[in-house]
Amino acid sequence: MAPKLEVEDLNAWFGTKQVLKNINIKIEENAVTAIIGPSGCGKTTFLRCLNRMHEINPDARVSGKVLFNGLNIYGNGVDPVMIRKKIGMVFQKPNPFPMMSIYDNVVAGLKLNGVRDKKSLDAVVRRSLELVNLWDEVKDDLNKSGASLSGGQQQRLCIARALAVEPEVLLMDEPCSALDPISTAKIEVLIRKLAKTYTIVIVTHNMQQAARVSDYTAFFYLGELIEYGPTKQIFENPKHELTEKYITGKFG
Amino acid sequence: MRKPNYYKLRLIKDRVMFLLVYLSLALALIPLFSILYEVVQRGIPAINLDFFIKPTPTVGEKGGGVANAIQGTLITIGLASVIGIPVGLMSGIFLSEYSEHKLSTIIRFFNDVLSGVPSIIIGVFAYALIVRSIGFSVIAAAFALSIIMIPIVTRTVEEALKLIPMNIREAAIALGVPRWKTVVAIVLRGARKAVVTGILLSIARIAGESAPVLVTMGFWRWWFAGLDRPAANLALNIFIFAMSPFENWIVLAWGSALILILLVLGINIAVRIFIRGRY
Amino acid sequence: MSRIIDSGLEELSAVLYKMGELAYHTVLIAIRECVESRDSYNEIREISDTLILMADYVEDKAFELIARFQPVASDLRTIKSYMKIAYDFVRFGRYALDVSHANQKLGGIRNCDKWIISHVKDMGEKVLSMVRLSIDSLKSRDPQLAEKVAQIENEVDKMYFDFLDELIERVDTTIKCAVSSVLIIRYLERIADHSAYVCESIIYITTGKRVILR
Repeated sequence: MAPKLEVEDLNAWFGTKQVLKNINIKIEENAVTAIIGPSGCGKTTFLRCLNRMHEINPDARVSGKVLFNGLNIYGNGVDPVMIRKKIGMVFQKPNPFPMMSIYDNVVAGLKLNGVRDKKSLDAVVRRSLELVNLWDEVKDDLNKSGASLSGGQQQRLCIARALAVEPEVLLMDEPCSALDPISTAKIEVLIRKLAKTYTIVIVTHNMQQAARVSDYTAFFYLGELIEYGPTKQIFENPKHELTEKYITGKFG
Repeated sequence: MRKPNYYKLRLIKDRVMFLLVYLSLALALIPLFSILYEVVQRGIPAINLDFFIKPTPTVGEKGGGVANAIQGTLITIGLASVIGIPVGLMSGIFLSEYSEHKLSTIIRFFNDVLSGVPSIIIGVFAYALIVRSIGFSVIAAAFALSIIMIPIVTRTVEEALKLIPMNIREAAIALGVPRWKTVVAIVLRGARKAVVTGILLSIARIAGESAPVLVTMGFWRWWFAGLDRPAANLALNIFIFAMSPFENWIVLAWGSALILILLVLGINIAVRIFIRGRY
Repeated sequence: MSRIIDSGLEELSAVLYKMGELAYHTVLIAIRECVESRDSYNEIREISDTLILMADYVEDKAFELIARFQPVASDLRTIKSYMKIAYDFVRFGRYALDVSHANQKLGGIRNCDKWIISHVKDMGEKVLSMVRLSIDSLKSRDPQLAEKVAQIENEVDKMYFDFLDELIERVDTTIKCAVSSVLIIRYLERIADHSAYVCESIIYITTGKRVILR
């Protein structure tokens, strides 16, 4: 099976500060890949380079290739807006759109790209909310504000919103760090479920979470990819001394 | 050893502070309510049917009303808003959403300067620019008022949009929504209450302006006669009528004051009802 | 809501149940071999080797589950006990192989005195029923079934010592018969012990109590 995303010699900067150094990694299709590492190691920047969100920051710069289904997303004439439709993102803090109903939140991406047909929007809302196990909880309150939900529900709403535009890859930036353990467990189960049909890359500062949900784990340190392999191998038998130190908590 | 009774002392301090805060509040409210009381008490006798349907009476004439001034004020404010709101809104969006742009610091600085310029100077500016070419007119007054409006709208829109967290914008961009659509459909929509409040404040502000109106439009006792002609104005009515020696006009001045307050209040309430969302 | 760890635990259980059936089969054919004329040595050997590989897999998988999911309470007890039970099943296979070795390489007991044959037969039946019960109680998580195994275990122990006492008294037994029968009886007794261990693990999984059934 060909990898879904192939990163070749990726470098990233903020101003003059280099935050990613020569990253090479192949991300497998229909699997969960976890990115772990201490704060400031570049894991979030790496994630944001995968759907061209890094460049939103005015003094950000990128070099290298990211092949998505074989196409370089940093190639000439590639529209970042199209890339972001295919490679969705979920953020650290649940961020439903303000002053919008649950329904409108889910279909915001479609509506803003010109889909108007009420029937197909209804179907998308139902399908997306069912996918994130939220439908039964909110089906009678679709017109309520997205902000009226609990933190865990909001985050699942945000995942539904990302899924509604039918991406192939889902990038998750510490999706559970603002949630309680029960909501976290629900999101983790959801991630495993989604991995059957989506390629998922998740950044987490919680190593146990990486161990629980991922099939592959990449360890970043000071902007470099130190070790990458099957999660079982990384957590049972890491090859690199730094990885061993980090996951056993002997860092520093 | 028995501990000293700090609790009681703290309780007393708490009560004293509480009382002080309430006294300050009352002190601040006294002028507000005394103005309202005075205006209502003196304005109500002026209010009758004629007041709303008849134009300014000639000197010495009995009765009459301010219908032409209400009409003129609404038209002038309306025209000023048509010019001022879009410009202010867009400058506000520019300052908030494109703050990395080199120009934004400069624009913000001049905007602040503009909001500090006395309104009479803006009136004189409009006089030099417009009155001298087409004469005293609604256009000149609306132009002056819109310039007073722009910095207020710009500032409040900028502040309102900045209250929407960055990650909301990122969420929209990550959905593959173009940036301008993100600004209009997500950010502006999310901040619409604060934006509308800012616009209302600016309308209330220009509705009460008399100095720039005086130098751009002058006093006009008749009905609205075209945008290139002057129109009557409530704020100016108050100024002119109150200065006059005629008892009838003085009564009308109090009535105009009451109507102006009610008008501003009415616009406020109407727009609030209009934008009242479910959230 | 099913948890992420659940699929791992289910897989582990499935492997363990399969091991139980294979181990039971080895004990069954080894005991049959004692009294009937057939040679199952190679078959038992093959299954026994498979059991060792499967036990390695169970241990690996159990370690993975511990490393990845930080199991606690009943999950943790289950994983720990599964590792022990996998070892017990390996022992079933190994002792069955030893019984077969005595049958095939040392001459066995088929041509010995009637009393020896009937003793081995009785004890073999009892031990086989213990193995069956221990596997069933694992599948059903039934601690009462497990305690039943303890009773039979006591009977098997008594049979074992009775047999040794009787063998010492008899002077007419050939050396060949004595060696084979003592070894076979000894191995059967060990299988019974391991069945009891399996049952102890099941009681530990279900109730959290550590009991000694022997």
